[in-house]
Formats: sequence, structure tokens, C-alpha cells
Amino acid sequence: MVERLRKSIVNGQEDDAEKAAREILDAGLDPIQILEKELFPAIKSVGEKFEKGECFLTDLMSAADAMRAANRVLISRIRQDSGGKSPAARIGKIVIGTVSGDIHDIGKNIVALLLEVNGFDIYDVGKDVESMKFIERATQTEADIMALSALMTTTKPAQKEVMDLLNEMGLKKKFLILIGGAPTTNEWAQQIGADGWAETAEQGVKLAQKLVQER
Amino acid sequence: MTPPWRINEVLDRAETGPICLEKDFELKVLVPKIKDVVKQYGIRYDPENLVPSDDSLADDLWKAALELYLEVGTLCTSTHRRILFDENEIREAMANFPGRYIVGYGKDSREMTHRKIEDSKRPYCLFSPDITCDEELFVPMSMAYLQEPLADGVCAPILEEVEGRSIKAGAPYETKGAVAHAMMFREAARRVGRPGIFLQGVGTAQSDAAQMAASNPMWGERLTDGRFVASISELKVDYSLLNKMVHFHQYGSFVGALTGPMLGGYCGGPEGTAVVGAAYHIQGLMVNQAHYLNYFPFHIRHMHNTTGELLWGISLVYQALARNSPLISLSNGFAAAGPCTPMVLYEAAAHGLASVVSGANLWEMAVARNKHKNRATPMEAKMACEVGCGAAEAGIKRSEANQLVKKIVSKYEKRIAEAPLGKTFQECYDVKRIAPTKEYAELYGTVKRELLDLGVPFVY
Repeated sequence: MVERLRKSIVNGQEDDAEKAAREILDAGLDPIQILEKELFPAIKSVGEKFEKGECFLTDLMSAADAMRAANRVLISRIRQDSGGKSPAARIGKIVIGTVSGDIHDIGKNIVALLLEVNGFDIYDVGKDVESMKFIERATQTEADIMALSALMTTTKPAQKEVMDLLNEMGLKKKFLILIGGAPTTNEWAQQIGADGWAETAEQGVKLAQKLVQER
Repeated sequence: MTPPWRINEVLDRAETGPICLEKDFELKVLVPKIKDVVKQYGIRYDPENLVPSDDSLADDLWKAALELYLEVGTLCTSTHRRILFDENEIREAMANFPGRYIVGYGKDSREMTHRKIEDSKRPYCLFSPDITCDEELFVPMSMAYLQEPLADGVCAPILEEVEGRSIKAGAPYETKGAVAHAMMFREAARRVGRPGIFLQGVGTAQSDAAQMAASNPMWGERLTDGRFVASISELKVDYSLLNKMVHFHQYGSFVGALTGPMLGGYCGGPEGTAVVGAAYHIQGLMVNQAHYLNYFPFHIRHMHNTTGELLWGISLVYQALARNSPLISLSNGFAAAGPCTPMVLYEAAAHGLASVVSGANLWEMAVARNKHKNRATPMEAKMACEVGCGAAEAGIKRSEANQLVKKIVSKYEKRIAEAPLGKTFQECYDVKRIAPTKEYAELYGTVKRELLDLGVPFVY
């Protein structure tokens, strides 16, 4: 059963993953143990394969879907067992999206997936997201990090707009701000006052982990 | 007859086609069909044949792309509906595509045509920095590209600021930036003595409104110029893109389709990227109603298309188009290394050679991973186009080109992830005199001699 769960996640089989998770619960196994010892390592291994170029984005996406299906079943039981309380965020909460005017989201999706498989709770606000919506969502979810993606030189200024809003609203210290995307650089991140910049999705994950630990 | 095929049909289908959520389109419609046709048609990357000589493989790629596009179509993300066509409609549009245009005007006009495999006709060469620049560098950088003798057309650098203000997509300063871009570019063309040269516009404008603002026959984008309608990766459009398509056609410019499938993204590996690349050309004709296409597949991590797996796909896509369609397409190089490095010149040569022998025209080139401001010069484009034109005129065969491309690629492929960023335009050019520095001119000469010794053809 446990092996089936692991395989269904690695192979991106959503229905199988959900079924295996239910059978695991029916067999009386501890859902927290299953999450920590089986589910998260399984999805992390797929993330590592993607980072090494050993599998494609679509494999990672399917694996993440399978993980979410199993996760829903296990979390639901954990909530029942704890009287309705949600389990604490695994590592941290991240609101992620592509900034206003930008309709590109593959890069953002990859970063979101890798963050998720590496233990973050992800609140994906989508693409072409108005600057204020990032702030509203981050406030609402009590996020640790706001991750702002821009693929075009003409949409990069919207990252600065979010920073300006945070500063003027006195909210900058509440969140860590990460930026990324093809036209962005470390200099740009420093110029707008972001807490970090990553060139690749893998670097983004490491940076997010580091910043949350140091917080 | 020229495109458009039937604009209202496209717009109507964007409103009435089958409903499909974006994620379902990507994961349930597109990706399984890519895998299916790659397997069904036996498309397989061969690192020994970066410029394949197998006509049947090229034809199979075309069949795979056609089958893919007929089944998948294009998703309009504004309406969540798929725009679908039947095979007869695609055949009708292809049958009425002229395969030849005169672009630009007067003495500076040039013929842009469909090319065949191993065609002795020179490729149409469009020079472009494909990158942003400082506002004060816009005119000298544009002039540097415009004055290159091999340039049949030019695309300007992109402004990040106008009058010292940041240009933000959708904001009023984007409109101002687009107009400034168009005006300064035209001024630059006149200053180099090529007032009628085909100008590709307007990279500074992301939004439909800003693009429309730059359409003006007196000071801006003319009917003899080219405008781009892009796609959203992969095989998606939205209202903003369709707005541009309608406007460009009604205004009367030449319309280009901008298409860049990502290796490692939804396309998967080199095989899927090649199939989607050919399918994008069908989409360009049917949805974007394009007169020509700019094709730039690229690596999702390193933003280049000069390694074996991408050059193989580029070659195969152009062979498929050359054998099975009348379409006109410009192969857009993306180098990992930056200006004034031997590596970028090798990458340029490999891209120009593999593309032209396979039937492509050239659009050269994005360098330094296409992300560093001011980091591009005409020298990289010149290398790609000198080699491309040389290959055409020398009548180089695919098998010869394959051996040469492999030799060139072996010089840099292992270093692609750590490619040097090189220097900026200001470091590579005397900006006042608009001439390359002695350092870069000498480096260019050294690399050219080395490539000549390998047997790589040049025009002169």
C-alpha cells in the first residue's frame, strides 16, 4: 500500500494515489507519518529529477497532482483527528504569481511546483495579477513570502509597484519578497528593495528555504 | 493573395469553440497528444545528425504537427474556448499563401520568400539585438544594426524607460514608449541612409493599445513594416493578441507570428518541441494570419537554442516546412554567451548554418541568455548571417552542414550552462562613431579564420 502510494506519486497517477491514501487510512496507519516519511520524500524525489533535467515539467506536474490528491485524503483525516484544526504550514507559506500585465506563467508554475514539493504551502494567485491583489492575498493567508514573477521587460516594473505599495502601506516588514523571471537580475532586486532574486527555479527554492530559516 | 485567411472565422471560433480550462488544455489535451504523435510517427532525436538528411523524417514531423494541431487547436484563454480548424481549411489557407513578399519600400525594399532545403537563394536576414537598452543608446544601437550591409530588415532594441520614466505594460508610459520607439527607429533608419528598410516593430509595446499607438505612416510603423502577434506557451492566445492581429491587418502592415516552444516545458524533449514548433507555424498561418513567422525554440533553463538537441529540432522543423508548406519563417538564434566572446560567435555560426541549409531565413540574434540590458551587438548577427548566406551560395548539402555544425557545437556545448556573459554594447562599440572596437573586430576575424579553416562557408 505504502509502496503503491509512493509509486503512484512518482509516476503521476492521481487516482491511484488517492486510492492508496484511503487504503492506508483504512489499514489504520498514521497519516502524519505517511505524509512525512512517504509522501513528501516521494514528491521531492521527482522535484530533484526535474532539477537535474531527468524528467520534464509535465512529469513534475502530474506527480504534484497525485501528491495533492493523496494529501487531501490524509490532511482531511488529520483534521478530523485534531478536532478540525489544520496542520501547521510545513516550512512556510508563499503567495506566488505573475505580475500585472504579464500573461506568461510557465516559469511561475515551475517555481510554485518546486516550492510545493520542497515543503512550502503555496497560494498561487495566477498570472496578470494586479499589484494590490498580491498584498491582499498575502495578508489574508499570513504568508511568509511573496514571490513575484515577470517575463517581460515591460512587466518588470510591476514588481517595483508591489514593493512601492508595501513600503507606502507600511507592510514591507511583514513579508519576504522574492522576485524572478527572464528579464530580472540581482541588481534589479536590490534596486527595488526585494529580499531576494533567483535566476532558476532551483535557486528560488533554496533561497526561499534560507530566508524562511533566517527569519 | 495574402493572408488574412478569414479573420471573422477565427474570432467567432474564439467565442464558440469547445470550452476547455487552461490546465486541462495543457495536461489533458496538448501533452498527451504530443506524446502520442511523437511515438506514432517515430520522431527521435539523433545527436549524430544535428542537420538530418532524411526527407521522410521531415515529412513525418509535418504529419505529426498537422495531426497535433488539427486535434488540439489553439486555446483562447480569454474565453476558455479552443479555436479549431479542419484540414480543408488549412489546405485552403496554404494554397493561397503566396510564399513571397516585397517588404520595406523603394530602394531599401527586399524580397522575403519561402526557401527550400539546400536552397542556393540567400536567406532573408533580419538583424535584431532582441534585448533592452538604455534610452540614450537606442538610436546608436539601432544605427549599428541598420548599417550592417547584410541586414535586409532590422528590429530595434527595447526601451525600458522613456524620458527617464519606467515603461510598465498597460500603463500610459508604455504608450509613450511605443511611440518614441517607432519615431526614433525611423529616424535611425534615415540617418544610415536606409529610410525604406523593413522595420520590425514595436518591441517596447507589450499591450495591444500601445502597439496600436505606434501605427502611423508618417512617423511610426508603416504598411511596409512588420508587426508581431505572439503566442502564449504553448499554442494559446488571448483577446489582447487577437486585438493586435485584427489591428495590424486592418492597418495594413505585414504580420509576423512570434513562436517559441520551450524545450523541457509542456513540449517535453527535443522531439515534442520540434512537433509543437511545426504546429506553431500552422497556428501562425491560421490564427495569427501571419505573412511570416519568427521561430525561436529555446531551453527552458538556459534560454538558448544553440545546443544539439535544439539545433536538430530547428533543422527538422525547417525541412518539414520547406517540403510541405509555402510558409516563410525566420529562424531566431538564442545564444547563451554574450558579446565579444569566441563562444557567442561559434553559437551564431552553428545556428546560421543549421537553419539556412534546412530552408530557413534568418533572424539573428538574442545573446547572453536574452536577459541582460545593453548586452548585444550586430557582430553576433553578422556572424550568423555571413555563414548562412555563405552556405546558401556555396550550395552546402545537409550532410556537409551536419559535420560542420557538430564540429562547431563541440566547441561550446559542454560550457552552455556557464556561458560567459561577455560585454555590453558600449564596451564592444565606439558609441559615438558607431563602430566595433578593435578588440571585437580582431576577435571576429580570428574566429572567422578558424571557422574558414574548418570548412565553414562565408559570403566573402
